[in-house]
Formats: sequence, C-alpha cells, structure tokens
Amino acid sequence: MCEQRKQEFTIVGRSERKVDGIALVTGKPKFVTDIDLSNMLYVKILHSPYAHARITEINTSRAESLPGVMCVLSSKNTPSTRYTTAGQGYPEPSPYDTRMFDTKVRFVGDRVAAVAAETEEIALQALKEIEVHYEELPPVLSVDAATALETAIIHDEKDASGIFDPARNISAKIDINVGDVTQGFAESDFIVETTCETQYAQHTPIEPHVVLSYLDEDGRLVLRTSTQVPFHVRRIVSYVLGIPLHRIRVIKPRIGGSFGVKQEVLLEDLAGLVTLRTDRPALIELTRQEEFVSTRTRHPMRIRVKLGAKRNGVLHAIEMEALSNTGAYGSHSLTVLSNVGSKTLPLYNKAKNVRFSGKAVYTNLPVAGAYRGYGATQGYYSLEVAMDELAGQLGLDPIELRRRNHIRCGESSPIFEEIGEGREGVAQTINSCELERCLEIGAKRIGWAKKRGSRTRNGSWVHGLGMSIHMQGSGIAQVDMGAATIKMNEDGSFNLLVGATDLGTGSDTILGQIAAEVLGVPLSKVIVYSSDTDFTPFDVGAYASSTTYVSGTAVKRAAEEVRGQIVEVAAAMLESDITSLAIKDEQVISIDGRSVTLAEACQRAMYQADQFQIGAMASCVQDQSPPPFMSSFAEVAVDTETGFVKIVDYVAVVDCGTVINPKMAQGQIEGALVNGIGYALSEVMLFSPTGRVQNATLFDYKILGALDIPPIDITLLDSYEPTGPMGAKSIAEIGINGPIPTIANAIYDAVGVRLTKTPFTPERVLSAIRSHST
Amino acid sequence: MALSNLREYVRPDGLDMALSLVKEKGRSARVIGGGIDLVRSSSPDIETLVDLSQLSLSYVRQTDKGIAIGATTTLTEIVEAPVLNNYLQGVVVEMLRQVGAPSLRNLASMGGTLASAHPWSDVITLFVALGAQVTLYNGVTRMVPLSDLYASRALLSPAIITEALLPAYAHGTAAAFMKFSRTKFDIAILNCACLISTQNGDCESVRLTAGGTPQLAALLPEVAEVLLGRKLSQTSIGQAAEMARETTLVRNDLRASGNYRRELVYAGVKRCLTCVSTHLSGASQ
Amino acid sequence: MRICLTVNGKKQELDSTPGDTLLHLLRRIGYKGVKKGCESGDCGACAVLLDGRVVNSCLVLAAKADGHCVTTVEGLAGQEKTGELHPVQEAFLEQGAVQCGYCSPGMMIAAVDLLAHNPNPTDQEIKEGISGNLCRCTGYVKQIEAIRIAAKKMRKSADV
Repeated sequence: MCEQRKQEFTIVGRSERKVDGIALVTGKPKFVTDIDLSNMLYVKILHSPYAHARITEINTSRAESLPGVMCVLSSKNTPSTRYTTAGQGYPEPSPYDTRMFDTKVRFVGDRVAAVAAETEEIALQALKEIEVHYEELPPVLSVDAATALETAIIHDEKDASGIFDPARNISAKIDINVGDVTQGFAESDFIVETTCETQYAQHTPIEPHVVLSYLDEDGRLVLRTSTQVPFHVRRIVSYVLGIPLHRIRVIKPRIGGSFGVKQEVLLEDLAGLVTLRTDRPALIELTRQEEFVSTRTRHPMRIRVKLGAKRNGVLHAIEMEALSNTGAYGSHSLTVLSNVGSKTLPLYNKAKNVRFSGKAVYTNLPVAGAYRGYGATQGYYSLEVAMDELAGQLGLDPIELRRRNHIRCGESSPIFEEIGEGREGVAQTINSCELERCLEIGAKRIGWAKKRGSRTRNGSWVHGLGMSIHMQGSGIAQVDMGAATIKMNEDGSFNLLVGATDLGTGSDTILGQIAAEVLGVPLSKVIVYSSDTDFTPFDVGAYASSTTYVSGTAVKRAAEEVRGQIVEVAAAMLESDITSLAIKDEQVISIDGRSVTLAEACQRAMYQADQFQIGAMASCVQDQSPPPFMSSFAEVAVDTETGFVKIVDYVAVVDCGTVINPKMAQGQIEGALVNGIGYALSEVMLFSPTGRVQNATLFDYKILGALDIPPIDITLLDSYEPTGPMGAKSIAEIGINGPIPTIANAIYDAVGVRLTKTPFTPERVLSAIRSHST
Repeated sequence: MALSNLREYVRPDGLDMALSLVKEKGRSARVIGGGIDLVRSSSPDIETLVDLSQLSLSYVRQTDKGIAIGATTTLTEIVEAPVLNNYLQGVVVEMLRQVGAPSLRNLASMGGTLASAHPWSDVITLFVALGAQVTLYNGVTRMVPLSDLYASRALLSPAIITEALLPAYAHGTAAAFMKFSRTKFDIAILNCACLISTQNGDCESVRLTAGGTPQLAALLPEVAEVLLGRKLSQTSIGQAAEMARETTLVRNDLRASGNYRRELVYAGVKRCLTCVSTHLSGASQ
Repeated sequence: MRICLTVNGKKQELDSTPGDTLLHLLRRIGYKGVKKGCESGDCGACAVLLDGRVVNSCLVLAAKADGHCVTTVEGLAGQEKTGELHPVQEAFLEQGAVQCGYCSPGMMIAAVDLLAHNPNPTDQEIKEGISGNLCRCTGYVKQIEAIRIAAKKMRKSADV
C-alpha cells in the first residue's frame, strides 16, 4: 500500500554541523541580553501575593517619585484590551481573557504593576513603594473546587470573549462522538477503565524569558525577544498596545530553550510600552523564581479511559474523558484539550465507536500553556496504561494487543476529521507508518521476550519491563503556514531567509540542508537567516512539530524555483535546452559534459545579460499532518524497600520519515525522553494552601541531571512520507509522550502496582506497593 | 542582587585580626570560606566579609591523631587528597562525591560546610558518625567534638573554625554512608552513616547517625544499643534497622513525609550496617 | 573598589563593589558567553574556571576572585588567530552536543576541568563531572559522547 521511495541525497541525511554551532561553542553574543544598549531601563514586575483578589486601590506615586524611576505601569495607565497570551494563528482559538494589568488578580504571581528604572536595584526598591489594596476573594485551588456547584467565579469580567462558560469556570469544552460507545461497550467482551492524573510541571528552559526593546533610528519599536513565535508577537503586541503592526519589528536571536513556554506573549507588550513611553531601551529579564511562578506550565489533567474489546483482541469502543486545569487564564486551553484526543485516538483506529469529551477549567493556580507533547503526553498516560490492563485481561502480550489495533499505512481514522485545533479537523489517510517495525525492533532491543514478567530480583530491587506506542503530528493541517525566501549571490552562495524559528532544535541547519540539497551546493554556501519580521517572510513559528514538515516544504519549493531560474540562465550560457541540464556540485552540467559554475550563472544574471536577481519566495500550508510514530520500551528496577525507581534501559524506535540530520534528530528524541522521564519520576510544582508555588527554584524543583539518565537506545527508522520535504515528518515532540506510560507499565510488570498519578516519586511508589500487598 | 549592603571584603593575614573583625562587627560580619551560602542567602544584614584564604588553612594531613583538614580546604581538595582513599574504606571520598557537583565542591570549604550546618548536610551526617573533632579559635585554640558544636551554637560566637579532625581508628573498624535524594544532584531526603569498631567480631563501639530528617544529623543511641556486644548478622542488623524506624525523630517537609523518612531510615541503617559488615568480614579474611 | 583579575590570560584592573558577583562582573565587561540561568548555583550555565577549577560564577563574589585567574568559554579556543577550537568545543560541535547552546559554555568549562584532572574518565566520571550543569535540550547523551571523544583526542595529542 505504502510506497517506499528511497531517494539518494547528498546533504540531507548527513549529520551536518549546526550552522550557528561555532558561534555557540565559542560563546559569541548571540542571545537577547548579549548586546549592550546605552541608556537602558530595567523593568521589574510586581506580582500578586494572592491567588484571587480584587485590586481596590493602587497607589504608585511614591514609587514614581523615587529617583531613577522612569515609568510605573498598572491598570490605571495601560490599555484595557482583552487578549490571549497564546501565540497561535489568527484568530486564536484561546479565549481573550487577559489584560496587560487587570483590576483583579487570579493567581499568586499574576501581574499587578511594573516599574522601569535606571537600575535593577531602583526598580526593585520602587516595587516595594507601590501601595496596593486587595479585597481577597475565595481562591479556587483545584479542578474539583472549580467545578463544584458553589464556587467563586474566576472570570467574572464582562469584556472577556471566547470563554466557554465563565459562570462555571469552564474555559473550553469538547465532545466528539463516532459511532455509539454505549452500544459499543455493550457489544464488547472485555472492558477496562482507568483514570490517571498528571501534575503541574514547568518547562524550565535554562534561559528564562527575556526581552529587550528599543526604538530604531526611525522611531519604530524593535523587540529582541526569546520567543517561539516572532510573527504572533508582532501581531499581538500591535493589538494590545494599539499601535500599527508596521511600526513593530520583532527579532528572535538565539534563544536558550523554550519547549512551549515561549509560545506566549508574556513580556513583549510590557517592554514595548515602556520603550514607547520613555523613548528608551527597556530590558525585562525574568528571574528563575519568576519563571516558575509567573510564566506557563503543562496543563495538569485527570483523564479517564474506558476500552472495550472483542475476544479477538480488537478494540470495539473507546471512551476518553479529560478534565484539564488551565489555571488562571485560558491560554491554549481548548487546543491542548483537543490534542489529548486528536493525537492519541487515531492510533487505535480499529475501534468503531469512540467518544472523546473534556473540559478545561479555570483555577486560581499558575497558568498552563503549550508544553512539548501538548495534551498528547497527558492522553497517552491513561490510554497506554489502559491498553496494558486490557492486554492483561485478554491474556495477550501488550505488544500483540497493539499489533492487532494500531493504525497502518493507507488507513485513516474519523478522529482526524472530527478534532482539529479549536475547530474541525481535516480528514487524512496515513501515507507512512512503520509501527510494525518499531514494535519488532524495540522488543528485540529491550529483550522483551526474555525479560518481561520474569521479575528478576536483586536484593530489594525487582526488575520489570513496560512499553507503549505513540503518534504525534507534523504541524496543524490547513492552519500552519511557513514561507521561505532564497536569493542568490554572485559567488554561488545563497541567502535563505525563513520566518521559521530555531529554538535550539537546529531548524536553521536542517532548512539549510534542504535548500543546499536542492541547489546542489554544500551547506556552507547557504547563509541562513531566520525569525526577523522585517527581513524574513512569514511563518507561524516553532510549535506543533511543524518546522521540518511545513517550513521545510516552503524551503524546498523556493529552492526548486531558484534552481529553475539558474538552469534557465545556464541554458542561455551553454546554448542548450534546459531539459538537458542538471545541477550538481555547484555547477550546471549539460549531458554533453559542458558546464558553468553557479557563480558564473549568477554573475551573468547580475551583471551581464538579461539581468535580474535570481531568487524566489515560496509558501507552504499542508492539507495533512502526517504523524510520526514511536514505540517506547523501558526496563526498570523498583526498590521494594524504598520505592525508588531506576530506569535500567530505555529503548525508543521512531518513524519520522526521512531523517534530515541524524544527530540532531537523535538529540530531539533524547532530550524529549529525558524531559519525559523527569516528568514521570521527579518533577512537580508544589503549592501552599493559599496557592503559592513552594518550590520555585531549581534547588527545590528537580529536573534530571547527567547522573540521572539511563542508557538510551534510539533507532530512527528509514521511512518515507510522500507529502514531506525529502520524505520527512516531524520529530520534536513525540519522544516526550513515551516515558510516563512506559515506566508505569514497567513498574506494574515489576511489582504488580498500577501508578495512576505522576510523578512516580519513591514515596508514592512505596505507598502503592505497601497498600497493594496488604 | 547578592548581598546588597555589603561594604567591605577583608582578607586578614592573621587569625587574631580575623577574630577581632568578627568580634568588633558582631552579626554584620561573617567569616567566608567558599561563600556559597552567603551569596545564596543575599542577606541584607551582612556588611563585612572576612575571607580566611590568606591564613594557610588549606590542607589535608595525616597526623598521629588522625586526618586533619584545614578550614579553607575545598571539598574537591579533600576528595582528591590521597590520604583519604584508605581512611575507613574510602567512606569520606565516597560521601563527598555525592555532595553537590564539582562546580560547588570547588568552592565549598570544610569550615563553611561545618559552620553552615545545613540540616541535610551529608558531610555532617558522616562526620558526626565518625566522631570528628573541630578546632575553634576565639583567642585560644580548643578542640571539641563536632556534635557539641551543634548542641551549642554558642561555641561559635565569636569563634572561628580552623580545622576538622577525623580520628584515627584501629584495624577492625569500618564505616558506611548512605544518601537518598530525588535526583543525584540534589540534597538528601535522608542520609545516614555508621561507624563500628569490633572486638573478636562483636560490636564494641557503634555510632549511627541520620540527617535530613529533615533536621540536622543526630546520633541514634537506641539503635547503637541494639548492636553493642553483638555480632553483625542479618538478625541484629534487621533489629537495629527496626529500632531506627521506630525511634528516629522525623518530620514532613516539601521533599518527603515523616512517615516515608521512617522507611528510609530503616533502609539506610540496614544498608549501612550491611556494608560495614561486608567491610569487616573482608578485613578479617 | 578596584579588583585585579586575569581573564583568559589578560590581566585587568576593574571597578567592582563588594556585593558584585563574578557572573555580573564578567558579563558587564563583555564576557557574554557566561550565561545566567538561576543565580543560585543550581544550573551551572555561568560556570567558569577559577584558577583552573570549575565554579559557578554566580556564587563567587568578585572580591573573592581578586588576584585570581578566570577562564571563560571565550578563552577556550586558541589565543592566536588560527580560530582553532579547543578539542572539547570541537567535539561538542561534531557530536551534536549543542542544541540551544545556552548551557554549552558552562558544560564545556566543566568538561575542561574534568579532563585536566582526569584525562581518561569513565562514563560515570564524565557524568559526575557535568552533574552540576543542567541541560533541558539534549538529554546529556551527546554531551557525554562529546566529552569521551574529546578526552581521547586530547590523550592522543598529549602522547605525541
């Protein structure tokens, strides 16, 4: 059914060095704050100490009169426009429930006021001089409290829009039915039901949020910012501040990681307004503490999954119900919720009856947002744990159960059409899927047949094996758009200008590789410049695993057009037909062996005859979002005396289509897995009874270090996605979905205990073991 | 902003000068070893820092009383000191490799570690078990057991720690250390240590500690009592571990509940004793 | 107050205040490769060599560094204009150990200290060597590989 179009590539498929690599390893000033501007102001933010309160009075005059204070901002002197901080395509599917500074605060850490001053110390001093009177309101500190009959209303403002049901604290809701699940369960021979709960967790990029704003010599506002979405930043800042979009330029230099937390407009509006008010550059640099308290988190969720299967092990009905905590604002509330179902349920397309429903509710806790995996991570926990349970009930090997049910090439799922991103989805057929090989290879590499169920003991440690399978997407079909411009220089080099946003993922490099491949030049001849709203064409930005697939296709198209132009010029030079010409090794070569160099062709076009700039711009919006697939396996050892879980081995086998750059692709999976293992085992934000984050430091909130990582074995399968550039699909997010269910299932194999709450801290594991054995 | 009210940074070239600065300035002056805790604390009360680095207090030496470690010696210098490799089966090195990370151990000093007295301190948990002594200078020099320092912090006001001494032990003595933490680069949820001397296979003296409970390391005399005069066997070790679970004072904090810490004390004591038992049986062969 | 610091082999007299940290001082005088990630010694992004040993510059008072030698990431590559990278930098680049690059300076500095004192480290020792340097992008796999490869290369060139 599915073709394997093996293509030979020269530049694609090679682990080229990062185009920005030398600058990064030599510590060149590539990041937001690495440039010094004279006359710069430092901006500090006053955060709410209360989870839920009305600001009855705010007096900033003492702060304003402090020497060195240039500007104090609060609800009294800033635009009251409602907007969403979510950096999504326009119109955004997230509710407009946020104001620059509101007269109500909705979580500990919410913005109350801001000060711009000559020094950081003065700004901090001035924050203390701001008098704020709060009228405390009852805080809503859990999803259960939020949905209770008698509850405080978090968004009672009249001017918000896009909230599903503000009076009941429901930010977003979804309900999708395919077939009839009630009947489906009635017809099923085996039924399992599992409810799992995930925690508040933070992205913790090593570089906290930072923005530097200034006016250029023409008085236009320049925002040099650590963002995933420069074009959305420009649009949203223009909207919030009420200034024309063409008066704003957004530059994303190198940024120190993001993982979704910088798909938000959190500081740019503020820095921009300070600069406009004072005519001076302004810097906002969040501290690590602020990063934890006031930025974004993963949506904590409680997800119930019910599976019905026939005796032959084929799923007949699936019901999934998600309760998502979006925190104080509804950033990404609907779309993350949608992805819980849309990125998981198509995997098991044999089930004829499917229901997916859910709500995202407001609470007075930190705001959730986009986070690598984007709902799929949470959904796979419940789904893949339920599958493990079902396999147990059926007496089937968990791998065999997946084999009987997973989607295959040439097949589809009605879910693709039913659930989109805040709207209906797009029907699609799978054109590439190597799940069968993913399962086979993964099982072999972890030693599944031999080790699973054997419960090998080593003192108090017991070993166990677990697995799960996954899919994600490649961009948002018919929504995400990326464009690329290529222009040629007379030495045979090319400028590649892309709106796409390299977050450290290496997308500048792989987009360069795609261009170089098409243009027949080494990567060193492609000068990549990205993410500058003045100089690069539009791109939605780096999210939804879109860059390789969507922006990469735009690059390929632009390169092909440029190649066509070069060939035409060369045809005139060689006096031959374009069909007899090919581009290779920086030359246009005729079948009769004559050739011109690319440099000569460009020199002719620039200086000699029929002059024009060789160059092109191309765009891409895709009609599908081909999923990458992954099988994930782990061997764990559980200490039955202390509850500690040690990952002995981790195996992941990934089908991401053509691998453009193997080392970078491996790096995406390794990074995502380790982030996922930390999320599974140790990371959790803790709250005081009043809703304050209690562990807002990297001392107290533990992400994994080098000593914590298990041996990780990754196989990238040779596969080909016909709709992708050079056959490529995405790879950025899928890895993070694996660890939670894989480890949960492995713990079950080891000690017979189902962990239904993350993280699997030693204390939790021990308590589960103890209550299981009594 | 670290230490916003700091006005002077002094490097005295004699102990008396250092002491007189501390005496004169009272609580607004602090003695600095590596300085990690002072910078992290960002305390606005601190106006003067007294840096001891010019006092030639960086050394690890074998003396007839044991191993002497100067107050400004960094934890890295201790880890790398050859003389510690064979001291009590290398237990000090093994413990220190679990403290922080190289970037912290290169700064943290012996004196600073003992003076800061973080309740989770791995160093203190082991050193108290090993019966370490500290030398204090307050005009005169005197040596006190490390545990006394924590029993009465008055010993330090005003006084400067100049040295720690790990006592020499005869053949037939073994020690072990155990740390439980959420990730490896983290402070202990609980740590414990033990030192056992035997005579003809019977435990003659036993020192057991648990720290990060979440309080600072304390000796566990009831547990030691279980073992005195007995051989280390699966039974006696099990009984001692049970006693530790029952008698150790534990509390809840962000990292773990008190009840869970009880389980860790049990496992930790059991593992430390098993390790010591292995050392001792290895030595006797 | 005036302090004297040798940074990457260059001796400099600098203005500072008693509460100034080495991190702030270094960035202020242009060593932007020294990164700020937490200012509490928990992430390692600001790591530099102080007299040849890796330290978190956010925890070192500039006054404490007075009279001492500091090496930042900018000082790792050859001083001459050959543009030759340090073997650790070379290996980081080659192995794909750099993703966003924000932790890389501190991580490479930690690796340089490690290899100077332990030219032939085991994987466990490599992990210990960079255990105070957090990275959220790579999962450490490629960084450990890079350090292993750099060690081998450095041993080879030490032999000849």
